[in-house]
Amino acid sequence: MSAAYDVIGSRVPRKDAAPKATGQAVFIEDLRFKGELAGALLQSPHAHALIKSIDVSKAKALPGVVEVITAADVPRVKYGVSPARYDEDLFAVNKVRYVGDEIAAVAAEDLETALKAAALIKVEYEPLPRLLSVEEATAEGAPWIHDEFPNNVCAEVHQEFGDVATAFKECDLIQEGRFVSKRQDAAFIEPNQCVAIYGQDGMLTLHSSTQVPHYVQRTVSMVTGLPMSKVRVVKPYVGGGFGPKAAATPIDLAASFLALRSGRPVRMAYTREQVFSFGRARHGFTHEMKIGVKKDGSLMALEHRATLDGGAYSSFGIATVYYAGSLLGGPYKLPNMKYDGRRIYTNKPACGAQRGHGGVIARALFEQQLDIIAERLGMDPVELRLQNMMETGDVTCNDLAMSSLGMRQCIEAVAQGSGWKQKKGALPKGKGIGIACGFFVSGAGYPIYRSETYHCTVTIKADEDGGGVKVFTAAAEIGQGSDTTMAIIAAEALGIPYDMVRIESGDTDFGIDLGAYSSRTTLMTGHATKEAAENLKEVILGELAGELGIDRRRLDIKRGLVKIAGEAVDIAPLRVRYQKEHRGWLSQPEGGQLTFNEASRLACLRRGTLVATGKYKPPVLGGKFKGAAVGTSPAYGCSAQVAEVSVDMETGQITVERVTDAHDCGQAINLTSVEAQMQGSVAMGLGEALFEEVKFDEAGRVMNPSLGEYHIPTIMDMPAVDCIVVESGEPNGPFGAKEVGEGAIMPTIPAILNAVRDAVGLTIDETPLTPERIYMALKKAK
Amino acid sequence: MLLPSFTYHRPGGLAEALAMLDGFGGQAKLLAGGTDLLVNMKHGKQAPAQLIDLDGLAELKASGSRGDALELGAGLKAAAIAGGLGGAAPQALAQGAGALGSPQVRNRASLGGNLVTARPAADMCVPLLALGARVALVSPAGERQVDLPEFFLGPGLTALHPSEVLTRVLLAKPRPGEGSGYGKLGLRKALEIPLVNVAAWLALEADGKTIKEARVALGAAAPTPMLSPGAAKALAGATAGDDAFAAAAFAAAADARPIDDHRGSAEYRRDMVAALTKRCLGQALAQARGN
Amino acid sequence: MSAHILKLKVNGREYQALVSANHTLAQVLRENLGLTGTKQGCQVGDCGSCTVLLDGEPVNSCLVLGVQAESREVLTIEGLAEGNKLHPLQDSFVRAGAIQCGFCSPGMILSAKALLERKPSPGLDDIRQGLAGNLCRCTGYQKIVEAVMQASHRMSGEASS
Repeated sequence: MSAAYDVIGSRVPRKDAAPKATGQAVFIEDLRFKGELAGALLQSPHAHALIKSIDVSKAKALPGVVEVITAADVPRVKYGVSPARYDEDLFAVNKVRYVGDEIAAVAAEDLETALKAAALIKVEYEPLPRLLSVEEATAEGAPWIHDEFPNNVCAEVHQEFGDVATAFKECDLIQEGRFVSKRQDAAFIEPNQCVAIYGQDGMLTLHSSTQVPHYVQRTVSMVTGLPMSKVRVVKPYVGGGFGPKAAATPIDLAASFLALRSGRPVRMAYTREQVFSFGRARHGFTHEMKIGVKKDGSLMALEHRATLDGGAYSSFGIATVYYAGSLLGGPYKLPNMKYDGRRIYTNKPACGAQRGHGGVIARALFEQQLDIIAERLGMDPVELRLQNMMETGDVTCNDLAMSSLGMRQCIEAVAQGSGWKQKKGALPKGKGIGIACGFFVSGAGYPIYRSETYHCTVTIKADEDGGGVKVFTAAAEIGQGSDTTMAIIAAEALGIPYDMVRIESGDTDFGIDLGAYSSRTTLMTGHATKEAAENLKEVILGELAGELGIDRRRLDIKRGLVKIAGEAVDIAPLRVRYQKEHRGWLSQPEGGQLTFNEASRLACLRRGTLVATGKYKPPVLGGKFKGAAVGTSPAYGCSAQVAEVSVDMETGQITVERVTDAHDCGQAINLTSVEAQMQGSVAMGLGEALFEEVKFDEAGRVMNPSLGEYHIPTIMDMPAVDCIVVESGEPNGPFGAKEVGEGAIMPTIPAILNAVRDAVGLTIDETPLTPERIYMALKKAK
Repeated sequence: MLLPSFTYHRPGGLAEALAMLDGFGGQAKLLAGGTDLLVNMKHGKQAPAQLIDLDGLAELKASGSRGDALELGAGLKAAAIAGGLGGAAPQALAQGAGALGSPQVRNRASLGGNLVTARPAADMCVPLLALGARVALVSPAGERQVDLPEFFLGPGLTALHPSEVLTRVLLAKPRPGEGSGYGKLGLRKALEIPLVNVAAWLALEADGKTIKEARVALGAAAPTPMLSPGAAKALAGATAGDDAFAAAAFAAAADARPIDDHRGSAEYRRDMVAALTKRCLGQALAQARGN
Repeated sequence: MSAHILKLKVNGREYQALVSANHTLAQVLRENLGLTGTKQGCQVGDCGSCTVLLDGEPVNSCLVLGVQAESREVLTIEGLAEGNKLHPLQDSFVRAGAIQCGFCSPGMILSAKALLERKPSPGLDDIRQGLAGNLCRCTGYQKIVEAVMQASHRMSGEASS
């Protein structure tokens, strides 16, 4: 497929790689502004308490302190992620709901003073009963964490597609299972940080380590009351996001207020400990599933219940609880599905979105159950999956349209690549092999707030000398490689070499872009970039056609050269004009074809600066039922993985020896980046499967708020990952492309679970698969 | 994260360091590798007014042998010890030092610091205990030597007086017919504090089969690194091999007094003491037999 | 509280700076010397982002006091390239796709530099051991391993040619 393209599908180096390799790349902590103040938060030490009084007098009196603000000093504007659940106040109003809830913020001449001042704020609390688990929060007589949400139910979902009860009656085999997972932390290596600057011109500029400049801009505007046109959000290079950086943070908002009041730049940063106590990453899930199949292995029905321990606020949680159900609609043919989900408020940091939003643990249990079903039916797990697999063009029972689906190729590729046939059932005790599949949206079908807005706009401007173009997009390069992706798409669409494209991104001044979440950027911003590049090409070729006096349709640009179809055209006059402008230049265009430089320069001479724009929003998608929007997408990425593990039967330690991974990304824009996303997904999934768990003590404090005690995989823990890139050609994607960033994590946990089950002969129903959990299961089974 | 304020001192030698320590009367802390102390200070757990930096003192970095004894300077870095000190470091100690933290941490963390911090599962403490090490504690009044079992008093608590500096670790030079081994269990394969760790040392009789003497040390099994008397007893005089090692493992698990905490349960830790004891003894035996 | 005039060599150049005793080497490099390529991910020695080479050995500069670098040599990520010519490790990281968000990259590359100094032709295990103190959340490490391998081949090729 890639043969048709000049830049797409290649392995060009990323635009940001060299600056990042040399230390030149600017991250938020590298930006410095004149007269910066340091901000600090006062956060609640209680998980649940009423605030009786706040006395800031001592803090204000401390020399070097410039501003001290509490809820009394800012407008009462509730905010959050989903407008349906704006349940957060920047500063606690009468009540704190988790250890870390924000009470006040200080700006001072230096951080030491700011921290000292925050500690001098005196708060009188009246502790309330702490609700640290779903059980406690839903117990009879439990206090309500939010008065507006009875019984601590943040959200409930009840959906049924088809007729599950009838379907179960027709099934030959019913398999039931339960799974419990733990709260995660995204553990991006760069902690959140921001600098807010309020200028004399009335403009608030917020530099922030965020995935979503646009949503941050909206939230800052809404909460401060400044019009959106007076709020600019700029994202420097960001040291990873993975979900929790996909919304405005309390420090974004507090720094904005402190800057507005002081008129000086205010920097606020989370320590690593604060990153943990802010949370917003993967929920802890409890899933129960009942799956019915026919003797021949045909999946008939799924009855699914999920409970999410949400923490003190909603964050992305409404979407999460919907995703937890909707993403089981595929990739297998499943005619009947019933889902009951609820998200419960507890007195812990809010959970939100993380790579594979909402679907990862549901997928883990479902794929584990498929293996048990295969075993009970005497089928090979690969065969069972292939038998039920959807094909391109299929629509799930909950109205998700698989406009391209290379799932079958993925399964076959990993089965072959891993040597599945030789290994499955033939490995000694303690060694195991497991397979799993998964799919994910290639961009949420709708914005987080209800709007008809374009999801992204892109502007491309031609350099006036004709030497290249510059892409302006508000899309968020957070390490996933979107700058490079857009540059490649622009180069391909314009027909010029990659080196001729420069890019600037992550600034709300550049247009609208909903940001880096829901694995959306390649498809959506890619469309807008492609359109902008095509429009620019149209302008250039239109001018050239006019100059040459020929039909525009005879012209095209390929590899930086102008192709003229049909009879020969004398280009000499144009070339002479170009050369005359460049007397003294050593390099001059040569050869029988006009260059892009000449054409673009000529167009500039005729039209002035050349700018073209592109835009994208998905068509109306999905069904009419409540919650139908969540899970809809113009396309779905999908993948299969085979994990091979060895288990130390004496200690319970698991080593993942190898992962064979195939992902259908529609069309690789940059092959290296696709593999990189696949490998990174496996690492995150492996960490979640084996190690990761945010733990709380009885007072609701995070017990392991460090990268030493919250265990993400080190290089020593990672197996070789064999990547197989499948390209199904997505009709709704730019150049056939769709996502890889999030979908690639979906099979990892269940592939490991199934491999461990194969190795030790036990079904483990709880992550992480710590040595202790495995050992104790083995001991109990003896 | 900021370090609290302090006054920094860089003594030119041990004598000067001791004089400073004495002069500050409990207000000072000794800074060695800083991998524990500076972290504690950043977390506000410690805020000494004075820091006396021992890191540059060459006299604390020497290692050498005196007769049958091996002397290791307290300032030696974990990285150097992990590298074997030119073959002088006993196997279990080199393994323990090599299992500590990460390369960056090992380049800073010192032998003395690891001992003085006295975590119940410190990667160098447990092997040193199995190796029968003593520590030399020097004060202006002179030097005293303390056996490790008497040195460790509790988590973070040692027999070191406020006026003393731990200068050297003394242990018997490895001899033919002896061997040692170290094992550590954690979640990850690097950057880990042990969930359980065990070190074993044994000496064989001339027959190459009978165990003359053995010691098994356990980490995260008690408030301090501890020796298992039961394991030593089970091994002394026994024929080296699976049966004796299983008996020693059983005895070590019985001696262990682990607790339940968020890192692991007491039951699991106890069982892992047994599993690791067997493995460490296996390594020790292999070394003793020259394999 | 004490302040000290610190003399040290960074990336081959002699520096003098007035530093507070309680400022870490990472702070001194970033704030006094403007060498912001050294990243701070955790500040307590858990992540390795702030890795610099102190007399050739990788250390977490968040756990070294600035004053402890007195009269010593520090190599930061800014000292690796020669003018516009990337160091082979940097170049391999770029080409292999070993860089995503890039926050761990400076520390990772410096750990790799120390490794290749010690072991010019490392095996897979050597690389894993050598980079065990540098956390990366983006890459899964595989392309990092490949980059170090490639750099080692190129550097030994250059050395023998």
